[in-house]
Amino acid sequence: MPEMLSLSNDPILFVTVMLAKILAVFIVVILIVAYATYAERKIIGRMQTRLGPTMTGPLGLLQPIADGLKLFFKEDIIPAQASKFAFVLAPMMILVPAFITIAVVPFGGNVVVGGYTVPLQIADLNVGILYILAMAGLGVYGIVLAGWASNNKYSLLGGVRSAAQMISYELAAGLSIISVFMLSETLSLRGIVEAQAGGITDWYIFSQPLAFCLFVITSLAEVNRTPFDLPEAETELVSGFCTEYSSMKYALFFMAEYANMVVISAVTATLFLGGPAGPFPGAINLLLKIFFFMFVFIWIRATFPRVKYNQLMYMGWKIFLPLALLNIVITGAVVVF
Amino acid sequence: MIKEFIQGLSITAKHLLPGNSTTVEYPKVKLEASERFRGLHRLVPAHNREKCVACYLCPTVCPAKCITVEAGEDENGVKYPTVYQIDMLRCIFCGYCVEACPVEAIEMTGEYELANYKREDFCFTKERLLK
Amino acid sequence: MAKKDIMTINMGPQHPSTHGVLQLILELDGETVVKATPHIGFLHRGVEKLSENRSYHRALPLTDRLDYLAPMSNNLGYVLAVEKLLGITDLIPERAKVVRVMMAELTRIKSHLVWLATHALDIGAMTVFLYCFREREAIMDMYEKLSGARMTSNYFRVGGLSLDLPEGFEKDVRSFIDAMPGHIETYEGLLTGNKIWQKRTIGVAKIDADAAIDIGLTGPALRASGVDWDLRRDNPYSGYEEYEFQVVTRQNGDTFDRYKARLDEMRESCKIIRQALDKLQPGPILADAPAVCLPPKEKVVNSIEGLIHQFKIITEGFKPEPGEIYQGVEAPKGELGYYLVSDGSANPYRMKIRPPSFVNLQALPQMVEGALLADVIAAIGTLDIVLGEIDR
Ligand code: SF4
Ligand code: SF4
Repeated sequence: MPEMLSLSNDPILFVTVMLAKILAVFIVVILIVAYATYAERKIIGRMQTRLGPTMTGPLGLLQPIADGLKLFFKEDIIPAQASKFAFVLAPMMILVPAFITIAVVPFGGNVVVGGYTVPLQIADLNVGILYILAMAGLGVYGIVLAGWASNNKYSLLGGVRSAAQMISYELAAGLSIISVFMLSETLSLRGIVEAQAGGITDWYIFSQPLAFCLFVITSLAEVNRTPFDLPEAETELVSGFCTEYSSMKYALFFMAEYANMVVISAVTATLFLGGPAGPFPGAINLLLKIFFFMFVFIWIRATFPRVKYNQLMYMGWKIFLPLALLNIVITGAVVVF
Repeated sequence: MIKEFIQGLSITAKHLLPGNSTTVEYPKVKLEASERFRGLHRLVPAHNREKCVACYLCPTVCPAKCITVEAGEDENGVKYPTVYQIDMLRCIFCGYCVEACPVEAIEMTGEYELANYKREDFCFTKERLLK
Repeated sequence: MAKKDIMTINMGPQHPSTHGVLQLILELDGETVVKATPHIGFLHRGVEKLSENRSYHRALPLTDRLDYLAPMSNNLGYVLAVEKLLGITDLIPERAKVVRVMMAELTRIKSHLVWLATHALDIGAMTVFLYCFREREAIMDMYEKLSGARMTSNYFRVGGLSLDLPEGFEKDVRSFIDAMPGHIETYEGLLTGNKIWQKRTIGVAKIDADAAIDIGLTGPALRASGVDWDLRRDNPYSGYEEYEFQVVTRQNGDTFDRYKARLDEMRESCKIIRQALDKLQPGPILADAPAVCLPPKEKVVNSIEGLIHQFKIITEGFKPEPGEIYQGVEAPKGELGYYLVSDGSANPYRMKIRPPSFVNLQALPQMVEGALLADVIAAIGTLDIVLGEIDR
């Protein structure tokens, strides 16, 4: 295997390859985000005996583009009483962490470019998991900020709910991952994927079913999806933290929600389903796994009611946290003996 | 608990199968109004003009007071409405005018697309009602 | 608690789940409701006053617009009240009575479907919403076939019905009530056993029997608190005494019990409709009361007597003896009452409506005190209010 490409051995090639990788991942994620909205409307529509979008383009396929254009041309309203700087900053603060999380997700093995080995991953951080948790934690600041800056009581409630939700779920999510890297003995996502490379039975979903369930449920809460969509609970808080937002800023929130879904699906697939491993070449496996999780998220949204905020806290602290701890103890015992 | 969750999921999944959609793609496909549908009014023509004899029963019974009738006589001394007007913005489509008319000169059609741009567009004169 | 810790939040009249134009002033401590004050009146149209300037016949379409989700029940209450005032209750032909019962029960199902749809949507189960509306659509189609309008039916008349059943109508109704229990199973499959739904409804917005009676709750909201009271059985009208049905009661008086009570009530309604269909015999649809009822159309067109008769009733109306009556019916939402005073003229001297939603809404502040914001939404939904009826 040739030498690893790095900034020291061929700076120009390194930067080019890096940019190419970033661009490719970014475009794919954006496309998934756009068509996730379409798929969501179609699938939920069908489940509810409707049709979903049909009028814009063939089968309504241009609908996401039409929506984007519409939002783009809408008047951008900043409420007079809002705190302007924070109000403008908030949507960016939500979207950026959502996108940069994907940087550590490996989407394939190694390829050889110009005589050097290039890993199919934007950045292989050796603390990849911590990075993911940190970024997920950052996202919530955007929501809290949006809620506070809007100077609207509904938004504020949405923001506060979001903070409370995040605290109670981040812990359980983090703890459920611990058992994964206890097995893999590395924090790098690439390492985790390699640890699962020995075929389908090596996937952590089989050795860590409890951690998998915990992580999927907590990630639903993390991305504010039904049944945990409290911060934007439409029927209670009008639209929660994004009540006052319009135009492109609203579009950013919207994109962030779906980008988060993509990222969480990708992370789950990486941690528990062997990442890009599978019957198809390279990244296609990962994409299929992402689509699968997205479908499940949408399906759940169509089926379940919303929980109450105190019940969510209760579940986070009194059920999921102990379960995650228990799982760590069991895993630890198994690893040691 | 898990069983009920799965039951719920299976119900929504079942509806995902094709053939469950009840949507009518409205501007392309239109619902057929029933025979008794109370939509836009129509004055029934007879020979060369409307059948209405300007008896004033319909403006009397109309709960919304939206019908204006003015009676006149033609050269043969037959009564007919010189003015017959319905203000569709006030009409509540109760159907009383049809029920009241003694000569079956007014009926209600299946026409339900009544949106328009200007206030005047909702004033249906005799000529428009005869169409 | 110091005042500064309380956040006042203005919920409505424009809010996705206040079911119309209800305004609630909520005083919140965090997310806990300290006090809720409903403000009403945004949809006031003056129905009671308007009817004083209209003949009894012309006031009828106004009642469609009270509880616009259950127009036929409103019509029924009104025509029964006027008939009682006129003293012609015994003259109503059998067929008219049976059709009235059948349509009133279909209306009950229709209204409960909208309630379930919006209630579930408020709590976040959005698929039930569309399933319910699909079934409601079928009832609306029947409404349209029968009366010509999908919502403001204006179908009953003082003395009977305006039109006879159209061709094939009975078959439609029969196939609908055959399918309906299955649909109710579907809703239950999505909600009843679901742990989240139970957590959101059991013990929420509880009201006990004594408090319910004190407030004057009626309808399913009362029966879910364990009070066995249903006007259809306890003060029958329009021949309800001839039907076999269960009055559904539950014990806990919480949101879940009200949910179950209404679902079971839909099942009972299907049974009543089935009995009504079996009872249906051909016959006249209007009472033999020439002073009140319009003559048949053929007579008006073809005979001079009929023509004069038509003119007389439409221009003069009918004039009940001076007096006053009260007639209550079990509308889908509770007891709907009409209090009519006649001074011997063709217009009602006074019409007072007792709308069930108006009285039931009184329970709201009590129900939500100390609950969470999310429970307020559930409580509004479970009371099944319609602002058209509250504000009149
Ligand atoms: S339908 Fe009713 S409101 Fe409309 S014109 Fe006829 S009587 Fe008047
Ligand atoms: S009731 Fe009939 S005849 Fe009399 S004015 Fe009206 S439309 Fe003309």
